[in-house]
Amino acid sequence: MSHPGTSTSSKVYRPEMSATWWLKSRSYFLFMMRELSSVFIALFVLVYLYELFLLSKGPEAYGDLRESLSRPGAVALYGVAFLFAVYHTVTWFQAASKIQVLRLGDWTMPGWMMLAGALGAWIVISAAVAAYFLGA
Amino acid sequence: MSDATITLSATRYNPESDAEPSTQDYRIPYREDWVVLDALNHIKDEVDESLSYRWSCRMGVCGSCGMMVNGEPKLTCATFLRDYYPDPIRVEPLANFGIIRDLVIDMDDFMDKLKAVKPWIVREEEKPVSEGEYLQSPSELKEFKQFSMCINCMLCYSACPVYGREQEFIGPAALALGHRYNLDSRDQGNDERAEVVASSQGIWECTFVGECSEVCPKDVDPAAAIQRTKVAATQHWFKSILMPFGGK
Repeated sequence: MSHPGTSTSSKVYRPEMSATWWLKSRSYFLFMMRELSSVFIALFVLVYLYELFLLSKGPEAYGDLRESLSRPGAVALYGVAFLFAVYHTVTWFQAASKIQVLRLGDWTMPGWMMLAGALGAWIVISAAVAAYFLGA
Repeated sequence: MSDATITLSATRYNPESDAEPSTQDYRIPYREDWVVLDALNHIKDEVDESLSYRWSCRMGVCGSCGMMVNGEPKLTCATFLRDYYPDPIRVEPLANFGIIRDLVIDMDDFMDKLKAVKPWIVREEEKPVSEGEYLQSPSELKEFKQFSMCINCMLCYSACPVYGREQEFIGPAALALGHRYNLDSRDQGNDERAEVVASSQGIWECTFVGECSEVCPKDVDPAAAIQRTKVAATQHWFKSILMPFGGK
């Protein structure tokens, strides 16, 4: 449909979007890293599920996997997955604080307050879980 | 008056003679209080009357003068030369749109999408004028006011890579305006809008890049509007499945 004052019958040039659009700005790049983080988190979860499966097969099978996971390549993968998991979590809370509107009467909680509360709760709960399992 | 000058590179495209756009450099006087639109008007008035671009109000209200300034979507009436001087300034048509001529984009697609979300108050049944206005409290107004500040400048479409890749996407401004009317206490058009807003070309296409909100000159925050519409659509879907009579 054509609208008054917009396009006419003349030739409209339609630029193509380059495949490297996400390298053109920092924010696009960070968005792509957020998307990419899910790949590493999925890898971690798959290995974790496989560990649980081998655990059900007995200590020998599980021990072999534990040994292979302590090799430098596997440790590096875990390190990268951990960094991506932290990044994904922080950006997820940032997104949640934009989406969720919390109201108490006429007062609306600012996004930064929601973000600070969520991050604080995440750190405290993670520390408590780590303390429980590490026996601190 | 200073003799300082600045270089402005503008995209040129003549549909009658050019296969693709090119760039033309203009050396123009630098004034600290000039915005990019002033510079374009100087070129048009004093240097090259063939340069084409859209503009109207010069005060950030009409939304006509959106262009890419050094690769970022900006209202040229609110973008000062002094923020770039002494470096050259590159002015291009808004990204993700077809180019009609020079800096003028084809906005038909946006206009169609805007109309599709019915950005007006929809009533199941209109009451007679004699019964007066549809009243609204300040707190009800506050619910949607932020999303009603959109000036249809299309900077958000230009910043949205999803729209750049998938032109079927309804896009940030239109979806934010749909959300604005869905939140309006006087409106009853949620279900009618859902056919477009909650379709596969609507909110579910958005991957929450968030740049639409970053470039918005009116702080509308279309990214938040779209994500909140996703939450509302999901709640509505669960109610329709789980509650007797679809939760109505």
